[in-house]
Order: sequence, then structure tokens, then C-alpha cells
Amino acid sequence: MSHTADVGLKIWGESLEALFANAARALTAVMVDRRRLKGTISRQITVEAPDLEALLVAWLNHLLYLYDTEAFLGRDFIITSLTPERLEARAVGDTYDPTRHLSKTAVKAATYHRLAITQVPDGWQATVILDL
Amino acid sequence: MAQIKLRQVDEYRWEIPREGKMRTRGLIFASKEMLPKIHEDRSLEQVANVATLPGIEGPSMAMPDIHWGYGFPIGGVAAFNLEEGVVSPGGVGYDINCGVRLLRTNLERQAIADRIEELVNALFDNIPTGVGSRRKDLKLTVPTLKEVMRYGAAWAVKQGFGTTDDLAHIEAGGQIPGADPDLVSQFAMDRGKDQLGTLGSGNHFVEVGYVAEIYDEPLARALGLFPGQVTVIIHTGSRGLGHQVCDDFIKVMLKASAKYGIELPDRQLCSAPIRSPEGQQYLAAMAAAANFAFANRQMITHWVRESFEQVLKMGPRDLGLELIYDVAHNIAKIEKHVIDGKEKTVCVHRKGATRAFPPGHPEVPPAYRETGQPVLIPGDMGRYSFVLVGTQRALEETFGSTCHGAGRELSRAAAIKAAKGRRVVQEMAAKGIIVRGAGRDTIDEEISEAYKDVENVVNVTHGAGISKKVAKLKPLGVIKG
Repeated sequence: MSHTADVGLKIWGESLEALFANAARALTAVMVDRRRLKGTISRQITVEAPDLEALLVAWLNHLLYLYDTEAFLGRDFIITSLTPERLEARAVGDTYDPTRHLSKTAVKAATYHRLAITQVPDGWQATVILDL
Repeated sequence: MAQIKLRQVDEYRWEIPREGKMRTRGLIFASKEMLPKIHEDRSLEQVANVATLPGIEGPSMAMPDIHWGYGFPIGGVAAFNLEEGVVSPGGVGYDINCGVRLLRTNLERQAIADRIEELVNALFDNIPTGVGSRRKDLKLTVPTLKEVMRYGAAWAVKQGFGTTDDLAHIEAGGQIPGADPDLVSQFAMDRGKDQLGTLGSGNHFVEVGYVAEIYDEPLARALGLFPGQVTVIIHTGSRGLGHQVCDDFIKVMLKASAKYGIELPDRQLCSAPIRSPEGQQYLAAMAAAANFAFANRQMITHWVRESFEQVLKMGPRDLGLELIYDVAHNIAKIEKHVIDGKEKTVCVHRKGATRAFPPGHPEVPPAYRETGQPVLIPGDMGRYSFVLVGTQRALEETFGSTCHGAGRELSRAAAIKAAKGRRVVQEMAAKGIIVRGAGRDTIDEEISEAYKDVENVVNVTHGAGISKKVAKLKPLGVIKG
């Protein structure tokens, strides 16, 4: 999805769990060439938010936090528990290394601007705009 | 909201008449030629949305580099009174105090003509750039980080990164008062602790250039600029620390908006009354992040000076790498303005906009009391940038504000598509501009045609009288994040 200032992600998943996992994969793909990441380290993540949409923003922003603080980039995401207010997940990925990884664009944050999660006939769809 | 109506006021001004829930009118600075592009996105709707917020004073404005932001448009300016007015993190943006500074030199362009590549390489080696760039040599402890957030550029100078003379050439002296680092979350500090002195990614850059054209000789001389002179522009902000402060406070403000009954046409406009605890806490945390950004640009300035000394084997006195000025692009400021003949204290949000105070204003540093505050407008990496000064008209009409840059014209995806199959670095080199970047995409995203021609943008602000053209700068070498 095109947005002049930033990047808008349109994400689909057959379940809400898949939707959240796909959103995280899309975030990583904006930042680096995801295919070059190894699945050697993992992180256990819990985030909470007042509603499902805010939870999606909190989830993506927590992944940005792990990146800024530990250079951790998730490649695969296993959502172990999900309610509209709480998400528990395991992210499997790599430590960013400029000699091995192709850097793309830094993401400042996932925003609430035009944020939406809707149920569609074959699953769930979300729109989230990233501030770059 | 239905199609936004636009009424022409004069050659450079367009009005969105007050209607529906708007508390005031919208005022857009643009030329007729710019309008079709502006209509393509939803930025005019955002100007109208900002006009619905409580306590807004004067019109909800947008500068000619207006484009679609989130909540507030980029290029947006809005002031709110301290009685009923609100403060909104969306009116500042995620990159708190993203800004730009300009350095002069004693060097003429010819003197460094065959050293540019070496110079750009030295800058690239000395200043970490790119996605998640960090400094291995500078890890800050929490108490030190809090000092950075309290004292801003003054902290950096105290550590030996620059001189006190630099501080006299920075907006607000490089230190926004009222910063409270204790209101900055541990998450934000974690994100910022090894990012001080790094450029980051996206549209941030360090650019070596030269003075290509002078429009106003006496003003240029007063700013220390001469034709053919080598200059350096540094554009970056508060990195992960600022982004996290914004994210943390958007969560606070979403609750606050409901608590104080502020009706929001867009969640990203979430705000709190300026006088409320939430509003005061945001302003104090934002100031802390803004000070981190001032310190960041100050540290990078030091490494720019070192890189020049290292490559050109010259001392500081001969180089004359002095700071002309440093302006904030994304900030909310408590300022005094005359509104309807009465002086009022307001909170001016400038989101992708530059302060442009006139000659004689008490907040303009002594060096520029006669000229007005320098205004620095970077363009894209392939064309040019501008130096202007603030005017009385800006003070009276736009709360002392003007544009901040070219404004994107293509989305990043469209820019990458346009650059496909091209060798942008080689194209630039053929034009005499050496580019080094951390990633191919970040360079491709920044191709000239991704941006509006900054000259058109600057001509609107000059024509409208809200800033005055002094000089045009052209790039010789750029490091990109």
C-alpha cells in the first residue's frame, strides 16, 4: 500500500494468530532482506494493550524495541496465546550484522493512523502504517 | 469528511473555509501548480481535522511542503492557547526534534575538488549510519543519558564535542527548558543509550556542498556565506529514544483524550489539555527527547570536524568549520505571540516545519539580531538546498514558521520502482556528487524525483513573505543512512 510519507502494510492471515505473525514478518521485510536471516536465536515476548488494534501496534513496536536494543530481528513468529488485550509469542531470528544482512529502511514506529483489523470471508485483514 | 473545499486567497495562500466541527479555518501556503499533487493525498483533510482540536488559535496551517502524515499533516503548524488548548504527540511526530544544522568553512570548492571522495569515505567511517546504527565506543549509563536529556547540546560541548560558540548558534541554545528525563521510560532510554552520535536511516544525511548562488549579498555576508564556499548540512533527530517517547505518550494521550472528552476525527490526533498532568508530562518528556537530538547533532558535528581535519590535514582555525545555525523540524514550543492585538502564550506545534523568527526577536541569537533567524531548507541529494532568514510577516501570520524541506512526491515503494535497473550511485557520481549509503534501498528511495523540487517550495515561502531567500547550496558528497 502506497503512502507518500511512509509505508502502509496490508496484511492477511487465515486466523488472528496468523495475522499477527504475518504483520511481524512484514515489518522485518521492510527493514532487511528477511531471507538472509538465520533462525538461531529466539525471544519470548508478551505485550498488552487496551484493544486488538492497539495490540497490533504494541506488538510491532515491541519488535522495534528489541531491534534497537539488541539488534534482534525476528524471521519467524509463533503466537502462543492471543486475546484482544494480550499477546504471547516466540520470535525466532538473528542478530543484525551489516556484513551479512542487506539493510533496507529503518522504521521509527507502527502508528495508529488508519489502523484497522477486519474480518474477511477467508480470515482476517489488517492495515497498519509504519512511520519511516 | 467530504471533499475539502479550497478558496484562493492570493497567489500563495489557499483557505479551507471553517465548516462542520472545525473551530477555525485552514490556511495552506502553496502555488497553483502544487495543488493537484496536494489533492492526491489526504493532507488537506488532516489540516481540517487539526482545526477541530480545542483551544486552537489562528488558522490550522500547512506549509508548501505539505504531505500526508499521520494525524497532523507533515508541513503542519498549529498553535493552542494555554487555557483550553491541547498538546498532541501527533503534532510533533515520532522523530522528536528531527532537525537540520548548517556549518560553514573557510574553504573554496576548488580546494577540495579532488578530495571529496576521501572526505565522504571518512565521514561514512566516522559517523554510524543505516538501520539501527549504533556506536560501539559510546555506551551511555542511565545517569549520563539523563544528563544528555536535561542539558542537550550543552552536555556534548561540556564533554569536549564542540565549543560554547556552537551553543549560541542553535535554536533555544540547544537545550529546551523544562525537560524531565524521569518522565522518559526505561524502554526509551534502552533504545537511545547507544544511538547518541548516530545518523540513523531514511532521509537523514550529512552533506558536503557549496554555495552555488547568493540572492541577498548583505544577508549572506552576515551569515558568513560567500560564493563557492564549502558547507556541510547535518540532518538527523532523536533516534529510537524520541520514537519511543512518542509511542509511549500516544498511549497516554489515547486515554487522556477520552478522559478529558476531546473528540477526535483521527486516533493519531490524540491529545491532552496543555494544563493537564498528561499534557505537562508529555511536554517535559518531549523536551528531554528534543535535547537528546540537539546533543546528537552536536556530536556528529564534532566527527564532521574531525573528518575534515583528518582528510585535509588542516587545523580548526584554517578550516573555519563554524556552526551557522541548527533548527528543529518536529517540535511543540511554548512561545509568546501577538494574536488579535493581544500577547498570548501558546503552544506552537511544528510538524515538518521550521521556526522563522524575524530580526530583533528576543529568541533570535545575538549574532542574527539584524538578519533574522537563519532558516535551513534541505532539498534532495541530487539538486540543491536553501538558506533563508525569518521575517516579521512569518511572526505575525504563521507563529514565526515556514517550510522544512522539499516534501516527498513519490512513496518509497514508487521511488524504488523508479530506480529499478538504474545505478543511482553512479548516476550521482556522473553529476559530480559522491554518495555513500548503508543500503541500496535507502539510496534508491531518496532519488531526486521522489521529492518535490525544493526551489518551488522555497519560492512560495519567499513569495508569501514568510521567509527570505539568502543562498542556494549544491551537494558535492552525501552520506545517507
